[in-house]
Amino acid sequence: MDFQTLILKLSSYWASKGCLLEQPYDQEVGAGTMHPATFLRVLGPEPWRAAYVQPSRRPADGRYGQNPFRLVKHYQYQVVIKPSPDDIQDLYVDSLRALGVDPKEHDLRFEEDNWESPTLGAWGVGWQVLLDGMEITQFTYFQQAGGLDLKPITAEITYGLERLTMFLAKKESVFEIDWAPGVPYGEVRKQEEFEISKYGFELADPQLLWLLFERYEAESARCLAAKVPLAAYDLALKCSHLFNLLDARGAVSATDRVAVIKRVRDLAVKCARGYVASREALGFPLLRKAGEPFQGSDATVEEPLLGSPTPLPEEEPFGQEPGDTRPVA
Amino acid sequence: MSDLLIEILAEEIPAGVLPQARTELLQGLAAALKEQRINGTFFIHSTSRRLVVIARDLPEAQDDMVAETTGPPASAAYDAAGKPTKAAEGFARSQGVAVEDLLVKATTKGDYCTARRLVAGRPTPEVVAEVLPPILTKMSFPRMMRWGDGSFVWVRPVHSLVALFDGAVIDLSLFGVEAGRMTHGHRTLAPGRLIIVGVQDYLQKLRSSFVEPDFAVRRRQLVERAEALAAEVGGHPGHDQALFDTWTHLVECPGLVRGTFDPRFLALPEEILVTTMRHHQKVLPVRDGEGILTPHFLAVADQAGDPKGLIARGNEWVLNARFADARFFFEDDSKTRLEDRVERLAALSFQEKLGDYLKKTTRLERLSEELAELLGLPEEKPEASRAARLLKADLVTGMVGEFPELQGIVGGLYARKEGEAEEVWQAVYDQYRPATAEDEVPRTEAGGIVALADRLDTLAGFFGLGLVPTGSKDPYALRRSALGVVKILLDKGWHLDLASAVGKALAQHDGLPRAAGEVVPELVTFLLDRLRFLLDRRGHRADEIEAVLTTDCRDVVDAAERVAAVSAIRGQADFGPLSTAFKRVQNILAQAGEGTGEPDPEKLTEDAERQLASDYLQARELIDELVTQRSYGEALQVMASLGPSLDRFFTEVLVMAPDPEVRANRFALLRSMRDQFSRVARFSEIQS
Repeated sequence: MDFQTLILKLSSYWASKGCLLEQPYDQEVGAGTMHPATFLRVLGPEPWRAAYVQPSRRPADGRYGQNPFRLVKHYQYQVVIKPSPDDIQDLYVDSLRALGVDPKEHDLRFEEDNWESPTLGAWGVGWQVLLDGMEITQFTYFQQAGGLDLKPITAEITYGLERLTMFLAKKESVFEIDWAPGVPYGEVRKQEEFEISKYGFELADPQLLWLLFERYEAESARCLAAKVPLAAYDLALKCSHLFNLLDARGAVSATDRVAVIKRVRDLAVKCARGYVASREALGFPLLRKAGEPFQGSDATVEEPLLGSPTPLPEEEPFGQEPGDTRPVA
Repeated sequence: MSDLLIEILAEEIPAGVLPQARTELLQGLAAALKEQRINGTFFIHSTSRRLVVIARDLPEAQDDMVAETTGPPASAAYDAAGKPTKAAEGFARSQGVAVEDLLVKATTKGDYCTARRLVAGRPTPEVVAEVLPPILTKMSFPRMMRWGDGSFVWVRPVHSLVALFDGAVIDLSLFGVEAGRMTHGHRTLAPGRLIIVGVQDYLQKLRSSFVEPDFAVRRRQLVERAEALAAEVGGHPGHDQALFDTWTHLVECPGLVRGTFDPRFLALPEEILVTTMRHHQKVLPVRDGEGILTPHFLAVADQAGDPKGLIARGNEWVLNARFADARFFFEDDSKTRLEDRVERLAALSFQEKLGDYLKKTTRLERLSEELAELLGLPEEKPEASRAARLLKADLVTGMVGEFPELQGIVGGLYARKEGEAEEVWQAVYDQYRPATAEDEVPRTEAGGIVALADRLDTLAGFFGLGLVPTGSKDPYALRRSALGVVKILLDKGWHLDLASAVGKALAQHDGLPRAAGEVVPELVTFLLDRLRFLLDRRGHRADEIEAVLTTDCRDVVDAAERVAAVSAIRGQADFGPLSTAFKRVQNILAQAGEGTGEPDPEKLTEDAERQLASDYLQARELIDELVTQRSYGEALQVMASLGPSLDRFFTEVLVMAPDPEVRANRFALLRSMRDQFSRVARFSEIQS
């Protein structure tokens, strides 16, 4: 299995389960959770189902392309469904079947692993999913985001795409997996890993980064005051990434850390509140019943607007490799 | 007799909370039913997804019960002719009994009208439906969650509830789920529905659906399988009870696979291999007959078998990848000596105002030498200060970045590899010992010295900044540091003057806002609090500990010896009166106020006080000598021998004599005795 086929299969599968296929956010983020399609959509009463790939940057994990498992930039596949359906674990297990993994032949376990993001004022409860001892997925029920208690609850499924591909292809190095048939991941990304590691650890100018941090922070605050929380959130994400860069550069002392994290969290909390307020002002539009015109904020959900299944593409059934004649599970 | 089956099927419950959850559910339900006069035999079962209670020998219903209710006083219930009044009639009506069936009972408050009626026992299922929900919803989990529309809170989402009494569904609902007779088999091996008709049927159907509900059975199967798989490669799995428990909680179907890793990784230090296996991957290393690691390991699987070897292969791949990662760090780290890493510690902040780790290192080098001197171990200075120099250098290695739990150990391993003396590398290796009150302390004397220096430096710095733990808040784990100091001193038997040591530690810091005069006593008290905790764990009684710790304590080993002497003597017959007498001494002196001056034997007027003074003045020199030799047991014996004369003194002598000189002299005698005795313990603290 190559990298892009994995992505295609996950997208087809989750689209067939009624997920809207979002696209990667066009900014540096540390994780798929920071994409507004997760962080903001988990807030408030509106239902939501989305799936997308998110390139995620963690400057401190840089290894100049020399370590077979560590990357500054890796790709996550993110699925969010609100409210979390009763059969969410079964849906997840089916997604593995769609990737050609027969759970009857493997050891599949859900081990406790809770998640917390101090910079987002967010936490959740869940598991890491282990397939034959390999952590392939983070599974989280979001409990709080931007300091706000959540209700309904969103289930978040995050697949580590490189790891999953490495595991399925049994490759010893991330750079050896195929991105596309015959095109190694290393050919696509190795030089980039070297250069962004070098930037993060050696070249980044802490003074400039601090300056940018402060400017973006002020700009985000200005947007919040002007009641455009989505724009403010973009700027808060800039601050978050700058903090990660500064941290990797060793320019943040242990005590500064706490204070800087709090500054980013304060922005995230205000963006979250602003977002809920603006959705409320719009009457929480996604609460309207499927197929019905907009009715206002007291409309209730019977069938969410999002969530009508997309038919599976004919040419490539799930759970089957070419030449495999087993029925689809 | 009847039986009961309760099964809660949930999404995977964390292994760490299952032991407590099992106890709470089992004891909670048994106790709640017992309170309702329903007794039986209760069993608890659990898997990663289920909590199950099975009860046998239950009655079908509560026993009928005679209930008595007290009504109005007899005088109000019956008139002079003994006819029931309106009050009696009303009471009888309210109790549902005929007025002629009311009884009169004598109570301490007089005669009262009483209704006695037979209360029919309620059916057991009805009682279960009433007591079970609060037990489940109130179970205490460290982290609770909501799911779906957010209406319910529990440890993980609940999917179904089986509640059967003699095979009949009990009418109850919980977490939005109606109780019924439907459950599911193993998530991947037999995910279909199971319709349950009774207890035996339940156990049978689960077992044929790849779920073994009995923890003990799963655990035994895992242990047996581990032994067999290890034996096949000539090894044994060891006795890692905690890992077997965790494994058993993680699965429904207890499977185990054996894997093999690349033997070349055996060149890595064992600590790194074992930590990777045991803590990161939860797999068990296989050791040979000599206890040496083999390239084999055992991994748990929630699976009946692994015919294609996919599970073993997956685990091998993961472990090899993790070892490769560790080897990468190990080799990369080997390019730079620890000595050359020390300067890099300047980039690592210890605490904003206390400087970086390079500054800390410099302080530790000096403090280790000072402590060696104070401890009377000047010959340890070279090793201790060398170990202090290298102590924190592993914080800037890749390996500690990857394995933070191996801090110190990695430094020790690297120091050994670089040819440092045994005392030095072991001191670095052992620096975080003891991690708990039960843990071992550093092996060597140099190790003990640097471990003390590290902790005293941290404590002095934080206390000097005023960052003192309050209540449950101790973000810098200062209590643990202090516990380490006390435990090292006790286990090594080192007599260290706490105030001097703390003073030396404070002196290494620059520009602390608080004055030493303020910090030293506060920190000494903080350390003695940890001593109190440790002595309590050793089984000493609180009053014995207080009797010593309320005296002047400067040295924890000395204080512990005194507490041990008090513990040993307190049971003796002549000791009880002495402690009672000393409470009187304490009270009298508290009224008298503090004073000075030796008792003057010439001014003693009564026989009893002359005898006390003479006995005491004779004993005083002996006590001096014994206390100086730290023969506290014997010193206490001598003190106890003064009990009878002290008793006679209190019986025959009025301390508060009208003559101020006589009175002052008596105070002086008692004060002298108290002060002398308090060199061991304050007897007035001992409860008789």
